[in-house]
Amino acid sequence: MHIRDGILGPEVCLIAGTISLGAITYSLRRLRLDLADRAVPLTGMLAALIFAGQMVNFPLLGLPVSGHLLGGVLAAVMLGPWAGCLAITMVLTVQAVLFSDGGLLSLGANILNMAVIGSWGGYAVYSTVRRWLGNSPAATVSAAVIAAWLSVLAAAAMFCIEFTVSSRSTGIDWRGVLTLMVLYHALIGIGEALITGAIVSYVLVRRADLVPSVNSTGTASRIGGFVASGLVAALAVAAILAPFKSELPDGLDAVSQRLQFDSLEIERPALLLEDYEIPAPAVSWWPGLSVSLAGIVGTLVVFTGSVALAATTRRQLAQVRVTDGSHAGS
Amino acid sequence: MPARDAWTESEPRTICDLMPAGLKILLTLTTIVAAGLIPLEHWPAQGLLLAIVFAGLSLAGVTMRYLLRRLGLFLPLLLVFGLSVPAVQSGDAAWSWTISLWLRCTVSFLAGLWLIHVLPFPKLLTALRRWKCPLVLIAMLGFMYRYTFILWEELRRLRNARAARDFGRVPRWRSWTSNAQMIGLLLVRALERAERTHQAMLARGWDGSVRFLDADD
Repeated sequence: MHIRDGILGPEVCLIAGTISLGAITYSLRRLRLDLADRAVPLTGMLAALIFAGQMVNFPLLGLPVSGHLLGGVLAAVMLGPWAGCLAITMVLTVQAVLFSDGGLLSLGANILNMAVIGSWGGYAVYSTVRRWLGNSPAATVSAAVIAAWLSVLAAAAMFCIEFTVSSRSTGIDWRGVLTLMVLYHALIGIGEALITGAIVSYVLVRRADLVPSVNSTGTASRIGGFVASGLVAALAVAAILAPFKSELPDGLDAVSQRLQFDSLEIERPALLLEDYEIPAPAVSWWPGLSVSLAGIVGTLVVFTGSVALAATTRRQLAQVRVTDGSHAGS
Repeated sequence: MPARDAWTESEPRTICDLMPAGLKILLTLTTIVAAGLIPLEHWPAQGLLLAIVFAGLSLAGVTMRYLLRRLGLFLPLLLVFGLSVPAVQSGDAAWSWTISLWLRCTVSFLAGLWLIHVLPFPKLLTALRRWKCPLVLIAMLGFMYRYTFILWEELRRLRNARAARDFGRVPRWRSWTSNAQMIGLLLVRALERAERTHQAMLARGWDGSVRFLDADD
């Protein structure tokens, strides 16, 4: 997920860094922080928590690979979008400066993709979904799950834009690479969504007072809602229309031609795709279809996961209330 | 774990420790920008840059073992990412793109490793302060740095407790839920701890001004 130095051109890193700097300044201004404020140690602590939480590995089912929490949406859910953005910015900075995890020059791009889009965008989706579903704990968990998945996809899409802008060498067709990128992150996003949902669910059962409620007034949240709805609509359109859009100019003849002549080519992508654990043939001859399939499958998995996690939260809350009469004890 | 434990030591160990922090950051960023701008046709320049970075690393006293370990974590991912282009597409353009990517990324990574090795975190905070970074951000970074090690310790305790209970044999799905619960518990404890810390700071007369020990550095 972390962009290394050298992958993006210096000029793109500079532009992304400038945007990120603006976003951080805006977050600071929105928080209107006084140094004596409680938010200062709280944000530092949450950043440390996300950093420590990333040390916990989640084994992938049946594969020798493991993933970990990214935390953009979790930070936004616990602290709101502005402090959440700052917390993730600090996590990324410390990772780059102390652990060489992610580049130094591309730190701005990483902040843009994960802190700004992850926390601001994630919170916009989260607050919108929460307003649709209501303020119950189950709705909160569902909203966090959906927001986490979309935030990872949005970060991957943002990387694709940056990468396409910065690749100076012409004559290379980037569609295959970018398709892989989105597919891979659709999978990562499911993991992130389930982890975030499970953590929020746990906190809601133990200390529901720690999760702030969403305030529904104010222009920021209205704009956020608008942006979030637009993002969801765009993703849905992309998922449904992508195969038609990518193939219409070529027509069906072109497809059959490619199938005939390029059948030898399929083996090579298959080798690569084994590294990515994605069904191979689909990508090699029809990137659009596989992206929309990933979108649809991902949506289904995330939807099922959010319903299941919400149900678990409701059940556990009921149990806790029966056993000790309140849900404040831990 | 951090690259070097003895960060608090006052006397410089190598020649790299004598440089001011800002210069180190600027040097590293310049190297990375240069590596990004050199086209593949000028590969000797890229090689020269690599040699300079290696010289810097050896001046900073980085051991070969440490370097190989870090590269072992870094290179496989880079190889896979670089190979994704020639695998999907044949032709010289794809290969030259891949090779120049490998060179660029390796030089940048090694330059970053040098900076990590010669720039202790407190010095970074000093440099940020001198560059007029908002004090709120510096204070947050300081808090984060302090708390990270505490929370790692706490996480280790939670893991030990869990291992003692489940004898290390957990089904995969169960390990997902228990891992998430562990982070959730850590989150609850961390926020409670932040609350307590803030109260304690106020009780000791914290007025919001951050005082630095190395003010004249």
